[in-house]
Amino acid sequence: MDVKFVGENLLPGQIGQFFVILSFGAALFSLISYFFAAKNPEETSWKKLGRIGFWLNALSIFVIGATLFYIIYNHLFEYHYAWAHSSTTLPTHYIISAFWEGQEGSFWLWMFWQVILGIVLVFKSKSWEAPVMTFVMLCQLFLSSMLIGVEIFGSRIGSSPFILLREAMTWPILNDPNYLSMIKDGRGLNPLLQNYWMVIHPPTLFLGFASMIVPFTYAAAGLWQKRYKEWINPGLPWALFAVMILGAGIIMGSFWAYEALNFGGFWAWDPVENVSIIPWFTLIAAVHVMIAFKNSGHAYFTSAFLCLISFVLVIYASYLTRSGILGETSVHSFTSLGMSGQLIIFNLTFLGLMIFFLVTRKKGMPSTQKEEEIYSREFWLFIGALVLTVACVQMIATTSIPVFNALFGTKVAPPIDPIPHYNKWQGAFAVVVMLLTAFTQFLKYKRSDSKKFWAATLASFVFAILISAVIIYFTHVYTNVMYILITFSAVFCILANLRILGDAFKGKWRLAGSAVSHIGFGLLLIGALIAAATNEVISVNQENYIAVAGFDKVEKPGENLFLTEGEPVQMGEYKITYVGDSVAAPNVFYKIKYEKIDEETGQMLESFILTPFAQNNPQMGGLIGTPGTKHFLTHDIYTLITAAASDSQAAATPKQEGEGTNLEEYDEPATYKVAVGDTLRYRNGYYVIESLDHNATVENMSKGENDLMVKMKIKVVSAEGKEYPVEPVFVLKNNNYFDFPKTVEEQGLMFRFTKVLPADKKLELMAYQKPLPQKKWVVFKAIKFPYINFFWCGTIVMTIGFCMAIYRRVKDGRNKQNREELVS
Amino acid sequence: MKKSSIILIGIIAIAIAMILVIYTDSSTYSTFSEAKEKQTELYVVGVLNKDKELMYDPVKDANHFSFYMYDNDSTECQVVFNGSKPQDIERSEQIVLTGKMEGNTFHASKILMKCPSKYNQDQMEVIETTAEPKTAFVN
Repeated sequence: MDVKFVGENLLPGQIGQFFVILSFGAALFSLISYFFAAKNPEETSWKKLGRIGFWLNALSIFVIGATLFYIIYNHLFEYHYAWAHSSTTLPTHYIISAFWEGQEGSFWLWMFWQVILGIVLVFKSKSWEAPVMTFVMLCQLFLSSMLIGVEIFGSRIGSSPFILLREAMTWPILNDPNYLSMIKDGRGLNPLLQNYWMVIHPPTLFLGFASMIVPFTYAAAGLWQKRYKEWINPGLPWALFAVMILGAGIIMGSFWAYEALNFGGFWAWDPVENVSIIPWFTLIAAVHVMIAFKNSGHAYFTSAFLCLISFVLVIYASYLTRSGILGETSVHSFTSLGMSGQLIIFNLTFLGLMIFFLVTRKKGMPSTQKEEEIYSREFWLFIGALVLTVACVQMIATTSIPVFNALFGTKVAPPIDPIPHYNKWQGAFAVVVMLLTAFTQFLKYKRSDSKKFWAATLASFVFAILISAVIIYFTHVYTNVMYILITFSAVFCILANLRILGDAFKGKWRLAGSAVSHIGFGLLLIGALIAAATNEVISVNQENYIAVAGFDKVEKPGENLFLTEGEPVQMGEYKITYVGDSVAAPNVFYKIKYEKIDEETGQMLESFILTPFAQNNPQMGGLIGTPGTKHFLTHDIYTLITAAASDSQAAATPKQEGEGTNLEEYDEPATYKVAVGDTLRYRNGYYVIESLDHNATVENMSKGENDLMVKMKIKVVSAEGKEYPVEPVFVLKNNNYFDFPKTVEEQGLMFRFTKVLPADKKLELMAYQKPLPQKKWVVFKAIKFPYINFFWCGTIVMTIGFCMAIYRRVKDGRNKQNREELVS
Repeated sequence: MKKSSIILIGIIAIAIAMILVIYTDSSTYSTFSEAKEKQTELYVVGVLNKDKELMYDPVKDANHFSFYMYDNDSTECQVVFNGSKPQDIERSEQIVLTGKMEGNTFHASKILMKCPSKYNQDQMEVIETTAEPKTAFVN
């Protein structure tokens, strides 16, 4: 049956699909060409072909992106991707987030960054271009295959973003030629992603992931081409770049979680978070051992191994989050698109490459016969890298429990309470890593004077004890030995690196980058520790409060507080009032007023209003709250709506019923026989029958001789003293009588002048009242996060440090190249 | 033997020991009857009994929510959660509870839900299709 569908715009999809196939073909072509170019460096034609393939691939990626954006931006709901991830009401800047909400879009983002990195590599990597680009194009080949969406031998390869709605779904209405006119709107973007951080966080994170391939390719190319030592120099700035961007991306995600998500924190050890931090740790370890190798010739194998494994772990991360295998353990992983087979092949290929190069090139690797000195920097850099790797092993082991279950058919559940589980392990690793980062600063490469070392270390050690004692006292983290140790080691690390920074001011600028990023990391750790360890739920209900021993942050009794509109409640040092709400569809903003009043003088010390908001989104699973946070220098007050009266939420959904006098909205009426001058009461005040006007007119109604049109003038006075005039009309026309009711909306009143009773000289008045509006209420949770600013500050300082280090390494590399050119 | 090799072996040993410890930390997915026997914190997987009322009255107590759930052996049990009602629980197709049995009620400290909207796109759209034709076929 051939149905002609009306109103479909098929051209963009066809263009898009064509370029999807082209990007795959071009990547394959470029991969093969670059492979032979690397094998036969004399023949320049291979390299030329490789470049052509690369540029074709780049062009395809740009066109795919532009087409997909066009489809989403113009709300072409005949395409499943546009329908599933956006809606017509979505503001333009969130269309960008909609673009990468789906897996296809995020794969595109990865490819896009890889193309940008590829362009830099093509222009800048010189003699490394062919081997390096071989691996980049291999990865690009795998990524393009994820978008193909074609069935081959009965199994679908990839998932195309250009698939039509009627192809993706099996609803009966999609067989209707007119189905497009029935699809009024798309499903919309998940409200959690409707946050400005979601516009910037995914691109940063994916740039981080994508740039991890560059250290991989340099390490692999170095081993493949047997240019064992050369790859470290060009690889190092790239590794630093990847670490910097991925670190910033991860913390942005954490900031988004803190600002927009409702789990009440900035880090939850969710598998999705873990898998992004694991490759970050391994690449940081790689950076350190690469520097150790440069300076001492030790730890070559470790450097190569860590560079290679980091990217393999990036692919593993993408397998875990995209295959749906984490379904039971993670709240926010992607749904399965049936591509896990493809992802596994992708993963195994790069793992295979890594093992192949490490095994076959083992013999040729540079090594030194001389043993490392204990008093040498390279030895402790090496130990630090190992500790970081072991920390990763712990995270991988726990995060991968669902994978082991799938592999071995076991049914092991992850730890009941993941946060203490991870904190216990990673806290211990953090202490060791921070101590290493501190005292290694006082060691020199190859051999240091042990006396000088101990003198410098002890001096900083004593200072660190003093300063951390002060910090621990004021931030109340003395309740736990681990907290004390972490604070101390972080302070120690900061002090030791401050000394290095002090030397930098005396002219040794070369080490400033590392010192600054170490200080940043130390600050970050202290901020994270204090905020995570001492955050307290302040919305505790006095009567319901049950003290719970230990530090578990699971839902304790009484974490939610019930507030009725306009009724203040004392919560700790704050008096809080739910002052009202405002609607900006689809969100309802709840105004929660915080006031701190001096008990003795009654003076207002502090007053602010937080507006956490929530939207009732049945398609995304009910009420979704977004916290409101007040930032102070030393702490944050975080407030989240966990439940709310449904009527204010109903107001956010557009009303459809007509205007006017819907009797169903009112209670049973009261009928009175009244005369002019009578006063009657109603729930919120009284009203007076003032006078009658016999010369009333009614629009569109002529008045005959025997007709009667009487207007009753009533003055309604509310309890607040407000007056509202209202004039219901009684009409007798052609011996039929009827009436025109009038309302006072503000007071929920309606009056009908229903009869004139000449016998009694009375008038019949029907008064309708709306039922009392239910008082609005909210249930909310408030948390105080002390010193969380250290966490954000530390991140910024660390990123600056990385920038400085990259600058230095790039400059070093250039100088070295110039020197080599001069020599030759 | 080089110092670094000794340290490497030491660290590998620590890593292996660590993984063993991790698995003692791990838990199992069990049932209500097991929870009754063991009296420890554990996971129970099951489905919501949609015929019985979900009790949550924030006016009375904003931190008390109770409902009935069938576990994987189809044993029904009352569950009490000290917190506000997760909004989409009525629509959940699977619930993973963390908590422990106290008397005849299960006290949950955490509720993780699998909802059709998040995990199974097609199913949600089936719900939508049944609602669609009402307005769609007017013209």
